Amino acid sequence: MNKNQKIKLYLFLFISAATIVFAILFPRLTLPFGFSYIIYLMSRPFTLRLTTGSTKQRLGYFFLMIIGIFFLGLPIFATLHNVDTDFSSLSSHLPELQKTLQNKYFAFKVKVFEDYGWQLNVDPVDYLIRKIEGFGAFLLTSFPNYLSSLFEWFLLVPLFLYFFFMESHRFSRRFLEAIPNPIFEKCYVLFSQFNTKFGEYIIAKFIEATILGTLVTGGLLVIGFPYPFILGFIAGITNILPYIGPIIGVVPAIFVALLSKDPNVTMLSMVIIYSLANLIDMVLVFPLLVSKIVNLHPIVVVVSIVVGSQVGGIIGVIVIIPFIAFFKLLFKEIYKDLSVNL
Amino acid sequence: MSYEKEIMEKSEKGESLGERLDIPLLKYMWDASPISFYNKENYHDFFKKISVLSSFSDNEIRLFTKFLHRREFMPNETIFKQGDSGYGFYFIFNGAVDVYANHNPQIESNGEFVIRLDKRQFFGEMGLLEEFNRRSATIIAAENTVLLGIFKPDLERMLEMYPVMGAKFLRETALIMANRMGQLTREIIALKKRVKELEQRL
Repeated sequence: MNKNQKIKLYLFLFISAATIVFAILFPRLTLPFGFSYIIYLMSRPFTLRLTTGSTKQRLGYFFLMIIGIFFLGLPIFATLHNVDTDFSSLSSHLPELQKTLQNKYFAFKVKVFEDYGWQLNVDPVDYLIRKIEGFGAFLLTSFPNYLSSLFEWFLLVPLFLYFFFMESHRFSRRFLEAIPNPIFEKCYVLFSQFNTKFGEYIIAKFIEATILGTLVTGGLLVIGFPYPFILGFIAGITNILPYIGPIIGVVPAIFVALLSKDPNVTMLSMVIIYSLANLIDMVLVFPLLVSKIVNLHPIVVVVSIVVGSQVGGIIGVIVIIPFIAFFKLLFKEIYKDLSVNL
Repeated sequence: MSYEKEIMEKSEKGESLGERLDIPLLKYMWDASPISFYNKENYHDFFKKISVLSSFSDNEIRLFTKFLHRREFMPNETIFKQGDSGYGFYFIFNGAVDVYANHNPQIESNGEFVIRLDKRQFFGEMGLLEEFNRRSATIIAAENTVLLGIFKPDLERMLEMYPVMGAKFLRETALIMANRMGQLTREIIALKKRVKELEQRL
């Protein structure tokens, strides 16, 4: 490698590192950018097909896309529409729930004192209620901030999306041209693999969450469990987190079952519904959709989720897994090269 | 009024044409002439003359060029080394490259010189087809060289977007490999024969 090539290589590495630092330092820009990129990658398989092939093929793909959006969108729309109703109902029942919770805890306290002679001095119900009230107050005070960031997202996401759809091809060409010769092949292949894996993973998780949410909502509706839509929605959203997601998703349903006075609402039936839905997910949906895309050790997945949530919140949690899968691929490639050259 | 009309009118009237030459018009005439078009070869003309794409229609060649990456190399710049992971197939658009084999990473040498490849020749097709390819030779630019490369992700995209064209390209690449395999087999047979002869002499 001569002097010019070395300068080019170091300059490229420096600019890449500076871009990463910039992305970490300015999450207000990076997060909407990442979100737009996710949407772009999700829609790319369809947009690619809509722009190539004969008119007949394009029309065929267009109709398939409309049907797909309808069948995927219908449960989401129905859930979101009913989540609002469920949420209002839950809010109106909160004082009642608080009273029931306090009564149950009081009975438990008395039983512990009678059976074991222990006086429980802590009051978790009061603590919980105070926390909920505090969270409500926090939401109210930070509402203007949320509103401004929401406004920012409404402005930035369409702008970035326009950029991705109209300019991404030219931009990626320019980016690839700037990669120095000695690392071009490897960079290009890794970059392409990352894009493919990332897009596939996001689509797969989205479909998986929709299927699980629909199954849980349907099951809870059948057994007459309260708040089926909000619980199904939570189960679908939390399912995005591997391993720990299904456990977090069932917690609100356990609370509802514990506090409900309705004799038809049983913990057992609810647990069966959640277990069945997660079983279908584990046996059918996950192996078919997700497992081939990301092949990581469970401990790596859990640690990655913690790191992802720390760095980028909800978006961080969603995108960290394909990022880790990409780094695994990268290290494997570097290791392979080192083992040949040594 | 165009330059030609002006000249024609002046010559009809018997007026003098003037000493000054209109350079931009001449430049246009020169650029538009078939001779200069032939010299200023574009990707389409380049691939029309390459055997690998002989079965491609004009439109297919046009689409094929969209999947290519132009890479420029300086003299003595390494394109890839023997043992590197290979992902791409290169066509020499301009310049020439030298092929070296038996490269030893312990010694700072390129290995033994095998052959020089010139314009319109190609190399690295194994990298496109094999799952885990290791380059079997070191390639170094002999002069200022422009390569047009197609890589695994491009081939996958091509097969997805234009399956007929992708299949044609794969068939042609497989044919190149089959020809090289045939050549290798013939060379092995000849070598075995030679070894046998030498053994008999001993």
